Amino acid sequence: MVMASVWVSILAMSVIFLVLSVLIGVIKVLVHFMPYVEPPAPPAKPKAAAPSAGDESELIAAVHAVLAHHLGKSPQDFSITKINPR
Amino acid sequence: MEFSLTDSIARIAGSTGFTALGGGQVVMILVSLTLLYLAIWKKFEPLLLLPIGFGCMLANLPLSHMAYDAEGGLFNLFYWGVKHEVLPPLIFMGVGALTDFGPLLANPYTLLLGAAAQIGVYTTLIGAVVLGFNLQEASAIGIIGGADGPTSIFLATKLAPHLLGPIAVAAYSYMSLVPLIQPPIMRFFTTPEERKIRMAQLKPISQNVKILFPVASTILCVLMLPGVAPLLGMFMIGNLFRESGVTGRLHDTAQTHLINIVTILLALSVGSSMTAESFLTFNTIKIIILGLLAFMMATAGGMVFGKIMCKLSGGKVNPLIGSAGVSAVPMAARVSQKVGSEEDHSNFLLMHAMGPNVAGVIGSAVAAGVFLSLFGDVSAGHAVLDAVPEFLLASAQ
Repeated sequence: MVMASVWVSILAMSVIFLVLSVLIGVIKVLVHFMPYVEPPAPPAKPKAAAPSAGDESELIAAVHAVLAHHLGKSPQDFSITKINPR
Repeated sequence: MEFSLTDSIARIAGSTGFTALGGGQVVMILVSLTLLYLAIWKKFEPLLLLPIGFGCMLANLPLSHMAYDAEGGLFNLFYWGVKHEVLPPLIFMGVGALTDFGPLLANPYTLLLGAAAQIGVYTTLIGAVVLGFNLQEASAIGIIGGADGPTSIFLATKLAPHLLGPIAVAAYSYMSLVPLIQPPIMRFFTTPEERKIRMAQLKPISQNVKILFPVASTILCVLMLPGVAPLLGMFMIGNLFRESGVTGRLHDTAQTHLINIVTILLALSVGSSMTAESFLTFNTIKIIILGLLAFMMATAGGMVFGKIMCKLSGGKVNPLIGSAGVSAVPMAARVSQKVGSEEDHSNFLLMHAMGPNVAGVIGSAVAAGVFLSLFGDVSAGHAVLDAVPEFLLASAQ
């Protein structure tokens, strides 16, 4: 009985190695014929066009008016000296 | 009808469970309380040991009709799912849905580590035969070394249903003890230099390969070992739900609600099989000892093969990933990572260890398939293989 169990063990281990070796072969074939392809990079977002000098003065005027309204002051009471673009 | 207060009190007292409570049941209730303690306060596989413990407690409360063999009882119905191999394969489907084959596909040679770790199954098989079990019982005990609860339950139900309770408890208990059992063995088999080996980053795998692998491996494995179909087939369909990308709802269900529901039913059924008559035997002690041997030998087998792969690859494989070949997903892989990081904090072995870890699941399912081919209830397709045990027995005499 003990010898039978030894034989069963040897046979079963052989079968397991055989089956898993076949799976290794399958994986190798699959990977060979279907290699990983890098997905195409998403199209870059076009950068917002830098405002021209005329646009910038209109922007400053608009911000100036909104700020004056928000602060409850007259537009002449303060001035915007600098806008840092980000 | 004449009413007698004394008779009525005696009748009520006689109908309580206390009158039928035996010593064996008291011991089993204590065992169930121990399992509950381990699950709740020690966090040993609580998702399984808690329902197993409670199922065991209910089954051993006299006159409750909650034992697995109580005709018409609730757990008798649940047990139907174990007896007719419904529940363990459904668990496998959930595990498949949770499994990423990417690391295995990126380094397919780690499948051999999953095969090598099955040495624990077969040394335990031999040990069980030495201790007086027959080959069917020894096979069911040996599969504990596969460190895979559903496979252990599946095979025990097929080959040794009377040993289901102790086998399931041993399997799940030792699985929870993997972080304690494995590290000393891993350190014993490796040098600090080997534990520091850094492995190359895994290559990415195309989605088509991930989709085709479960299909191709199912066809091949089931053709080679038809007995493995319920476990491996369900494991692979669960994975196909995941990888196909077209069955999101099925994938979600399989990996969450379904696996949780089936775990409850399976664990309660296993607990209900732990009756005093079936559990309180000398065989249970033998199985608990053999289960520990199975886990230790499986770890050692994976480590030895890991060292062989390390030598053959010129030091590119860290042998610590070999211990993950014992299944127990993902705990065994985490143990490889932990032991490796003790030597080098910036060495990340987890993904490399997931390859052999997943290979261990396939390996233990294949080992179960081999046992079923040899000793199972053979159908027409198995008839040719049924001659093998006789040949083996004849050659051994």
